[in-house]
Amino acid sequence: MKEEDPDTALIARVGNREPGAIREIVARKLPRIVALAARMLGDRDEADDVAQEAFLRIWNIAPKWRRGEARFDTWLHRVTLNLCYDRLRRHRETTMSDDLPEQADVAPLPDERIEAAHANERIATALAKLPARQREALVLQYYQELPNADAAALMGVSVDALESLLARARRNLRAALADLAQSGGDAPKEHR
Amino acid sequence: MTPERFRHITEAYGASPERWPAGERDAALALVNAGDAEALAALAEARALDGMLDAHAVAAPGPEFARRIVDSAPTRPARAFWRRPRIWFSGVGFVGAGAAGVAAGALLVSLLAPAPGEPAHGGWFEQSYSGTAFGGAPSDWSDQ
Repeated sequence: MKEEDPDTALIARVGNREPGAIREIVARKLPRIVALAARMLGDRDEADDVAQEAFLRIWNIAPKWRRGEARFDTWLHRVTLNLCYDRLRRHRETTMSDDLPEQADVAPLPDERIEAAHANERIATALAKLPARQREALVLQYYQELPNADAAALMGVSVDALESLLARARRNLRAALADLAQSGGDAPKEHR
Repeated sequence: MTPERFRHITEAYGASPERWPAGERDAALALVNAGDAEALAALAEARALDGMLDAHAVAAPGPEFARRIVDSAPTRPARAFWRRPRIWFSGVGFVGAGAAGVAAGALLVSLLAPAPGEPAHGGWFEQSYSGTAFGGAPSDWSDQ
């Protein structure tokens, strides 16, 4: 038996332009869209732009949404990923990019937050170095916490192929993090 | 579940059993619970990488940005009165019900009105209306 889509009722209300439903879907989906786009693009401003575009698609599709055809969250992930790939193509990213997005200047932070900020930046840099499909697999399965079958379906691959992509992603990530640690890559200015 | 397969699983899915393939989860956990040294080593490596991945946080969208997104939603279009079919039809229904009520009332009055030449009070007409629950019996009040 097919599992009921938990977003169906909300989408119907959004389709009716109910203000409460619009606020609710923004609260429910915006952080997930921004997180997905930020990790795919490595750039927060671009991630915000993608989120805005994704919500325009939501406003457009909601009145026409038919229950049972697809899970809304899966559709939303696909839309967001497509928007991310449009931008990645525009940036001429192929499989492995050395042109990392410019990092924002890091304002002075309390001591206890400096290491966390550096760790965050190390991972962002290593994620940006992954080939796009490996990054997509890791972001969907690990950060977005999609079930393996859903992540595979979203990527148009088998679960076995997803497993292979994930294994390569994690192996490359570990190697990139080791390189960054060896080169002292945790200092923000070294990435610029 | 072989230790090699367990390593493949943790290398792909990480150290959390809930992320492992559902069909292999119990067998993989059994290997861990059995204390298999190779499995425990693979698990520790995966856990270390998970810890680094968890260090990557994306700041939540601010309230101003969320408000801009909310404001980008189209509002419900205001429709002219005559283009609101439900209201329009309900108005017709209201008028129709009123007209039916007037007709029924007129019919009732014509049936109950005394025929020309009959006494104004008497017969079943008086009996029917003299002792209703609302009016009470006139004699009850005359004594006070």
